Amino acid sequence: MLTWGVDFGSIGAMGRVLHFSLRDGLPALVFLPLFLLVLHPSARTTAAALPPVPDSHGSVQLIAEDESIKPDRDSWVGMYFKLEPHWHIYWINPGDSGEPPRVEWDLPVGFRAGRLRWPYPARLNHPPLTDFGYEGEVLLLVPIQTPAQIGKTGKITLAADVKWLVCRDVCIPAEQHVALSLPVRAEVPRPDPRWHALFTEMRARCPKPAPAGWKATARSSGDQFLLSIETGKAEDGVAFFPLEPLQVEDAASKQVSSYRAGVRLTLQKSEQLVKPISVLKGVVVLSSGRAFLINAPVVQ
Amino acid sequence: MTRFVRCILGISLLLVAEPLAWAVRVGLPAPDFTATDTYGKSHKLSEYKGNFVVLEWHNRDCPYTHKHYASGNMQKLQKEWTGKGVVWFTVISSAPGKQGYVTANDENAYVKQVGASPTAVLLDPKGDLGRLYDAKTTPQMFIINREGNLIYDGAIDSKPTSDQADIAKATNYVQAALAEATAGKSVATPVSRPYGCSVKYAGSWW
Repeated sequence: MLTWGVDFGSIGAMGRVLHFSLRDGLPALVFLPLFLLVLHPSARTTAAALPPVPDSHGSVQLIAEDESIKPDRDSWVGMYFKLEPHWHIYWINPGDSGEPPRVEWDLPVGFRAGRLRWPYPARLNHPPLTDFGYEGEVLLLVPIQTPAQIGKTGKITLAADVKWLVCRDVCIPAEQHVALSLPVRAEVPRPDPRWHALFTEMRARCPKPAPAGWKATARSSGDQFLLSIETGKAEDGVAFFPLEPLQVEDAASKQVSSYRAGVRLTLQKSEQLVKPISVLKGVVVLSSGRAFLINAPVVQ
Repeated sequence: MTRFVRCILGISLLLVAEPLAWAVRVGLPAPDFTATDTYGKSHKLSEYKGNFVVLEWHNRDCPYTHKHYASGNMQKLQKEWTGKGVVWFTVISSAPGKQGYVTANDENAYVKQVGASPTAVLLDPKGDLGRLYDAKTTPQMFIINREGNLIYDGAIDSKPTSDQADIAKATNYVQAALAEATAGKSVATPVSRPYGCSVKYAGSWW
């Protein structure tokens, strides 16, 4: 059973109900007090003191896709961020400003956490800057490698220290320790019904490797990249998010035109791109909402 | 603000900004400008040809700026390099009503309080200088050499966090660039991704 003190599952369940209520129009004041927020304790001299740090306008909790853990069977957990309206956190490439969340794990012996999986972001335009991130809710998925031998208590606790930047017009560095206890069981774990829809939705938004039949090339032409992605059919309403900073001018408008076999994007090079690059990496999101990783060799 | 209105605003601002889109590039002459400091004195960049010039974009309430001021890191850089004849301009492009906006008197008191020693603080509430240089974050650092060419554009250092503990572990790109350039060497890292809060230009954005 999940215990109250250590596990955020119960609070999460309450939070999920609250979130539906928020959608139904309950004021934010109901939402706020139920999420205790750990403020970032930075050392400050009195000479350069900031005003008191306000709350971090949201919360993060560690949730698991399944209700239990089976030895020697990998499973998925996730960092579930819920944000107040108009506040956002950042994608792995935050864009012109901002900083993505960072996780430091504290796991039982033999357990290993893989890298974070990032659902494709939204463009956050605040001229003349453009950032990439998330408003509302997002789940950053993490694969957990489970050892064959797990201790005898019948329960394990996964924990982490999460640091993130949350911004609206101003930015607040937030930090929270999260923990999740799960029972260890011999049978194949059942999906946790509370989180099943969330994991399914967010997993679908994570980019997959580009299908084998696709061809992507980026032609370097003056101050632009002409990115051509051949998918086999005409593509409308495509979005592109560069994975690396300093390559594409995020705020510049992109020309996107579909053709018989795919889509062509005209991307403005970043002013800070001083050395030619050999590969343009990014996430392409099709109008269907499916996202793919593109590694386009750059040709002159 | 509806997405439609945001979109129109974005496009119109882009049309205004577009002619300047390629004005700033490492290796090219830094754009000339005239700006007023917190004592009402006017400064023109081209007057300082023959000196190295540092432009430091600043917002005292941004956690990333705060990281470098509360630790004394920025003040240390300012003191060392102004002592060696570098002209250091702290630039504030926050629009009135936005985070980081200050009056001249307020800023002068702050400079004394935190022990900063820029050559001058340039007030840019309309954001003209910020947009001219395409300043995106606070802090963001630009270094101009004696011939008036831009030799550095980017972050103050290599650890893009708001943690003071990361300062000691980071490579300070400004320190490195000034040390190399003043010794007649080429700058090893002329660009880096600037990190920080967005510069708070005029115009609401959400």
